[in-house]
Parts: sequence; C-alpha cells; structure tokens
Amino acid sequence: MNNSQRWCKREEKQLELTLEALISQVADLKNSLVSFIYKLENEYDRLTWPSVLDSFALLSGQLNTLNKVLKHEKTPLLRNQVIIPLVLSPDRDEEIMRQTEGRVPVFSHEVVPDHLRTKPDPEVEEQEKQLITDAARISPDGAQKQIQSLNKMCSNLLEKISKEERESESGGLRQNKQTFNPTDTNALVAAVAFGKGLSNRRPPGSGGSVQSGQPGAGAIIAGASGMQQVPMSSAPAQQQPMLAGVQMAQAGQPGKMPSGIKTNIKSASMHPYQR
Amino acid sequence: MEAPPVTMMPVTGGTINMMEYLLQGSVLDQSLESLLHRLRGLCDNMEPETFLDHEMVFLLKGQQASPFVLRARRSMDKSGMPWHLRYLGQPEIGDKNRHALVRNCVDIATSDNLTDFLVEMGFRMDHEFVAKGHVFRKGIMKIVVYKIFRILMPGNTDSIEPLSLSYLVELNVVAPAGQDIVSDDMRNFAEQLKPLVHLEKIDPKRLM
Repeated sequence: MNNSQRWCKREEKQLELTLEALISQVADLKNSLVSFIYKLENEYDRLTWPSVLDSFALLSGQLNTLNKVLKHEKTPLLRNQVIIPLVLSPDRDEEIMRQTEGRVPVFSHEVVPDHLRTKPDPEVEEQEKQLITDAARISPDGAQKQIQSLNKMCSNLLEKISKEERESESGGLRQNKQTFNPTDTNALVAAVAFGKGLSNRRPPGSGGSVQSGQPGAGAIIAGASGMQQVPMSSAPAQQQPMLAGVQMAQAGQPGKMPSGIKTNIKSASMHPYQR
Repeated sequence: MEAPPVTMMPVTGGTINMMEYLLQGSVLDQSLESLLHRLRGLCDNMEPETFLDHEMVFLLKGQQASPFVLRARRSMDKSGMPWHLRYLGQPEIGDKNRHALVRNCVDIATSDNLTDFLVEMGFRMDHEFVAKGHVFRKGIMKIVVYKIFRILMPGNTDSIEPLSLSYLVELNVVAPAGQDIVSDDMRNFAEQLKPLVHLEKIDPKRLM
C-alpha cells in the first residue's frame, strides 16, 4: 500500500511539474503570437520578408520546445487524464478573469465546449481521415521510395544553395583583396608630410644619372658652392668642400633655375637669418 | 619656432584660427577607376575636376631644432591661378575618440614671386614634387585623389617619375577650431569608401 501511495504522489508531483512547464511554454508562445499579430497589423507597410520569417521561426522554435516538453520521459501520460468541469455558472468569475487576462469572463455552458474540446474541427477531421486512408493504400515499398526521393531532392537543393553561396563569397573576397596597399599608403603619406623618398634623399643610383644630364649646370655649380652651406648645417662654413654633382641633385635648389643664380649670390654673402 | 597650440592663443579678433581635419589612405592604380566612380556617385554633382600641381616645401632653420615649414603650391595646368602658400602646424594630440588628424592650418593666396620672397626671407627649399589627380567635394569636405611624382631634375617639372604604384587619397576639411562633429561626418563618409580605400588618421611622426 505504501508503495502505491508513494507512486501516486510521485505521479502527482510529475503532473504538477509538467503542467507548470506547459503553462510557461504556452505563455511564451502566446506572447510571440501577440507580437507577431501586432507587427502584422501595425507595421504592415514597413514589413520585410526576413522579419516575417524571423517571427515564424520564433513560433516554430517555441512549438518545438512545447513538443519536447510533451514527449519528455518525465511527463506522465496526459492521455490518461480527464478534465471534467465541476461547476458551470453564468455569473462573472473574477478568478477566471484574472487568469485569462480578461478574455474569459464567465465559465458557462457556451464557453466550456470551446475551451475544453479535444476533438478537431469536423473539416479537419475529414481531411485527417482522408489522409489516413490514402496512406494506408500505398504499399510500404512505394512509401519508402517516395520518402527516399523526397530526401534526395532536398539534399540536392541544399548542395546547390551552399555551392552558390561559397562561390559568390570567394569571388567577392578575391575582388576585395587588392584595392590598396598599406605600405604604399605609408610611403605616400611620408612623402607628402616630410618629403621622404623625394628629391632630398634619393638613392645614389639615380643621383648619378642626374649628374650626367646636367651639362649646363656646371656654370651654376660655382655659384652654388656658397649656397650649399645652408642646407648642410646652420653654422656658416665658407670653406665647405664643393661636392658638386651629388649635391646639385639634392635639394637646396629653389624651384626655378634662373632665379637660382641670383639667389645663390645673395646667400653667399652670409644671410642674417642663417644665424 | 612652431606656432603655439591653438588652444593657448587668445581670441583677440582678426582671422579665426582654422584647423585642418585630415584622413588619408591610398588606392592602387588598377582600382582607381572604381574609386572615381564611387566618388562621383557619393560627392556633389560637379564637373569632374582634375589638377596638376607643383608643390615646393620650404624650411627655415632657426636656433631651435625643428625648422619652420611652409608649403608653396602652383598650378601647372591652369593659367592665371594664384600661388598657394600654406602653413600646417603639428597634429593636435587630442583624445583617441577624434577620428581625424587635426592640425592648425593657414592658407594664403599669393602672387607669382612667392619663391623669391621666401628665399629672401631665408627659407630654403627642402623638397618638391608634382601632384596630379582629381578633386571632389561633398559639402565642406574635400576629397583629393592624386599621384605623387618625383622631380628628377630640380626645377624641371617635365622630367618626372611616379613615386609609387598607388594614388594617395585624402579627405580633408578646413573648419574653425573646436568643431569636432566634423570628424564624425568624415568618418561616416570614410565608411562609405570601404573596402576600396581605408581612410584613417596616419600620424606622420610614426613614419619618420
């Protein structure tokens, strides 16, 4: 007797837990349905297909969890439970109002058949009966073949989609790769900011080629000797050795050659600012 | 000999101190066309404007270690344009939230004898280059895409060679000091040029 009592208690406990889980699941489902309906009713002009898909996905996920709860091993066979209304009254019932958020004010004769029914609608029942007879007619082999072909088509489709996605992704990547080179960026910024790589610090190879291309510059070199002291150091050094060709190629020359001569003469006479 | 930071200078009238907000990036030659297409779509509707400029950078070496730098620029393809003299200060070390490089900037239009004048004042040319490219505008923002050419023979702007296989892309705004909202607008615009070009604030001192 003790054993069966304990077993009964356990059953009750399980039932209670299951019911609580079911109630919370159904409440979640209800909330997502409410928000979806709101979205459809109020934002229909701004609604996008992905957003609708999201709502459907949410609902489907919640239905899935509901199913899982029902199938859970700890769930007692709810099929064996029967719900019988004990009291039906046409008066307003505050408790029911509160529990159903104002939707069911009265637990009466008209409300109960709708809320406590277990049989599906007649049309639905018809369709289900039809489907069952159809399914019974097909031989098991035929059924198996149909299942296999469905599976094959689904997997083909999936493969095609994933291949398309992969190809477009890699194509996009290849395209995006080489539109700029960070090293070049740094080199260009350095050139603009303080002349790195420009006439000042040219590699000796190109300096040599410049020398040969300046036969007419020989006359200016004489005048330039006085001028060269300025960029080299701030201290005046009239006896600076004349490093002709290479210095000529380097900066220190003003932009225009003709004015260079005039300027050289002036600076050779110890410009006051050089101090 | 650098001008004192802008925040220290009293506002006693005269001209407002203008700051240049700058973002830089580069684009390879082969992707230049797509960048120009995108800019043509994003920027104000104008005739596409190209330019060919010759810029010379002058230094004045004083007693202090850091020389005073002035940039003189002249247009090589448009006749009758004045020369452009520009002073750029040190980048302001603001908070990291500022998205663009900010520095004090003074722009002056001058007549043709600018180089003579500078040399008379004691400046010496440090380096020069030729810039050839396109200019776009969007509101107060100016986007310049140009190629830098090294001048092989000083003074001879016909013998030039490109410095690299890329074009430099600069997004700059000249605005009065203190308008940091400008850098937000610049950053939003720079986002639209990704992934073709990455415009960012590059500190030149890092590249020395």
